Amino acid sequence: MTVRRLGTCLSAALLVSAVLPVSVRADTIDEKAAVCSSCHGEKGVPTEKNIPIIWGQQEGYLYLQLRDFKKGARKNEIMNGIAESLEKDDMKELAAYFAAKSWPNLDQASASDADVAAAKTANSAVGCSACHLDHFQGTGTVPRLSGQSHEYLTKTLAEFRSGERANNPGMTSLAQATPEPDLKAMEAYLAGL
Amino acid sequence: MKKLVTALLCSAALGMPAVQAQEIKSATKFGDMSTVSQDMLNRAATDSQNFLQTNGDYAQQRFYPNRQINTTNVSKLRPAWIFQTEVKESLETSPIVVNGTMFVTTSFSQVYALNARTGEELWHYVPKMGPITTFCCGPNNRGVAVSDNMVYLGTLDSQLVALDARSGKVMWKTEIADPEEGYSETMAPTVVDNKVLIGTNGGEYGIRGFMKAFDAKTGKLIWTFNTVPENSVGVWAEKDATGKDLHRDIAAEKATLAAMMQPAPGDQKQKSGAVDPAAKVVPVADKTGPAPSTSAAPQPKAAQFYKTLGGGIWQNPAVDLESRRIYFVVGNPSPDLDGSQRPGDNLYTDSLVSLDLDTGKYVCHLQYIPHDVWDFDAVSPPVITKVADKDGKPIKGVLHAGKTGYVYVHDAKDCSLVRYSEPMVPQENMWTLPTKEGVRMLPGANGGVEWSPLATDPNRGLAYAINLHQPMTYQVQNSAYPDGKLWLGGAFKVIPSEEQWGNITAVDYNTGKIRWQVKTPQPMIGGILATAGGLVFAGEGNGLFKAYDSESGSPLWSFQAGAGVNAPPSSYSVEGKQYIVVGAGGNTQLDYKRGNSIIAFTVD
Repeated sequence: MTVRRLGTCLSAALLVSAVLPVSVRADTIDEKAAVCSSCHGEKGVPTEKNIPIIWGQQEGYLYLQLRDFKKGARKNEIMNGIAESLEKDDMKELAAYFAAKSWPNLDQASASDADVAAAKTANSAVGCSACHLDHFQGTGTVPRLSGQSHEYLTKTLAEFRSGERANNPGMTSLAQATPEPDLKAMEAYLAGL
Repeated sequence: MKKLVTALLCSAALGMPAVQAQEIKSATKFGDMSTVSQDMLNRAATDSQNFLQTNGDYAQQRFYPNRQINTTNVSKLRPAWIFQTEVKESLETSPIVVNGTMFVTTSFSQVYALNARTGEELWHYVPKMGPITTFCCGPNNRGVAVSDNMVYLGTLDSQLVALDARSGKVMWKTEIADPEEGYSETMAPTVVDNKVLIGTNGGEYGIRGFMKAFDAKTGKLIWTFNTVPENSVGVWAEKDATGKDLHRDIAAEKATLAAMMQPAPGDQKQKSGAVDPAAKVVPVADKTGPAPSTSAAPQPKAAQFYKTLGGGIWQNPAVDLESRRIYFVVGNPSPDLDGSQRPGDNLYTDSLVSLDLDTGKYVCHLQYIPHDVWDFDAVSPPVITKVADKDGKPIKGVLHAGKTGYVYVHDAKDCSLVRYSEPMVPQENMWTLPTKEGVRMLPGANGGVEWSPLATDPNRGLAYAINLHQPMTYQVQNSAYPDGKLWLGGAFKVIPSEEQWGNITAVDYNTGKIRWQVKTPQPMIGGILATAGGLVFAGEGNGLFKAYDSESGSPLWSFQAGAGVNAPPSSYSVEGKQYIVVGAGGNTQLDYKRGNSIIAFTVD
């Protein structure tokens, strides 16, 4: 990540969110969603690698994350600021809007055979696919993981493991129950799907 | 979506005179075959043409009375047709068959109506679900219920839907509970006397479980029984139902409860006299526990943990029309592994519960594992059958197969335990408390017997169970309920270096002795069917669907279905020919190979 580009994303999002509440400022869903594009990308490819893909992500998951950002259950300076002014209907509308978009292809490399084997072992031990489903496509409130940004997956699993991300303690337990090398393998495997 | 193909059109297509076809299709022993009458449902146990209820009949015996396919000809069993659904994900449906029409469901709560003779699709219902769906163990659906001219379905977003059986058109729809709070539906409903009975998933989500009865014609709520009373403390039991020490620190639990009962600063803002609107039916006192509170006095917020204590219901109730009672089992307390937030026995989690069918009022219960911290919930549907009491005298009994690996035998009159079987799988270190680092205990958290229904053969006095052997460690971690997200209070972890396997076990429920066992290469999940032809049918995660001699366990036939066969089989007959039908779509919970096939078998 370059400092300059992160600065652009941060300043654009913060500037827009600080001026007026999104629900008041914007009339159409495209206008409401515009602030999101400064970080998550105009065409669904995030502007930075540790920012998640939200285009084509599961609708229920997107809604719950916005809700948790608003409540402060999930911490992120930018997202907490943006979500603060959103009403429930705004969050549901935004979730539906982004869920309906096409998931972008980040052209990430497929995992090595060794990483695939380690990831499958980890999955059989803690049952990732019992929630994220076959091929890790997710559904409802469970997010799609396949093809998600590798850097974001790494950051997120580390934050679950440390407890820094606290809005899903079940993931903290599972990440802590999984050896770190297996988590690394899982991140590479998921990113390359 | 294909539209309705009426019986008339079907018969025309087959080149048969309509009148003759109708005569054949109405050749049933009971009722009017254009609809499913209550009389037909009452007599389902002896109906050798239809398969009208999830587990065969109201007693849930899973004993099919047709003997056309039997031990002498089962080797000739072959696929009659294969139908492929549009959903390639975990398949747990129990096919229901009414007068030549079959109803099956898939993951994500979709319904198909099929011609049971040919496998031809008649209609396909895809629910328009809301964005919030939660689940534990896969977006499964275990089937529909039928009554009159309606088909009933519970959906993943916690809606109860009534469909026109002829067209799949929605007749009414009602919300069972708020999915954003973690409620969802995967079980099949049960319909009896104009009531649609359904429980709820969510034991892994911090919900307050229930059994509800809805009006079958209108969808209006008739009664609710909360599986967790406001006072869920119980008797501070130190042992499980079989006498094993639970290693509870009762003094610490009592201290926690006392602290929870102290008002916190924020509690003062509560409105005085607020009554929990969900508590519409309050269980009466029974001999095993104190009367739950009926006080309208405000409780401190911390003491209201009953609102997130879990107690989901995963499978259908058994119905005893003679006594007008239902019997069902209640799932685990929430969070699964962390008992520190829920002092007491956590009534009525991990219990067999009986209610009055008409009012939903409590009659009796027996708790298998008070204050469970291993997710050893009661999930396999109970069976009503005649059993020998301790003196050998025949009584009305209730069977339940536990994750513990026991088959429990109850007296239906008061829910008391008559006996329990020899363990069907290894038990080690029970009940070692979960630790932060993880501690090994057998069985693993999936059982023993998971949600898979038992089959029984009342003539042989045998119950057939499918089991898992999955060594696991149990880890505990404290956290607050994360609002609509999985809340396990820790983690279960399969030990990758240890062998896993399964078995089919026949238990003599009049003695508790194991009659026979067949080991399988993988843990078993799905279900089993016994027939009057001296057979039991069960599938495996590796795609094999097999028939066994129900007396001896000898394998008699097998078929490779190409995907995990992890659904309960059904049987039926059309135009005088018996079929066996099963779903082959794999399983999310155990990550068995996914598929999308409904396969019907017959002999020529």
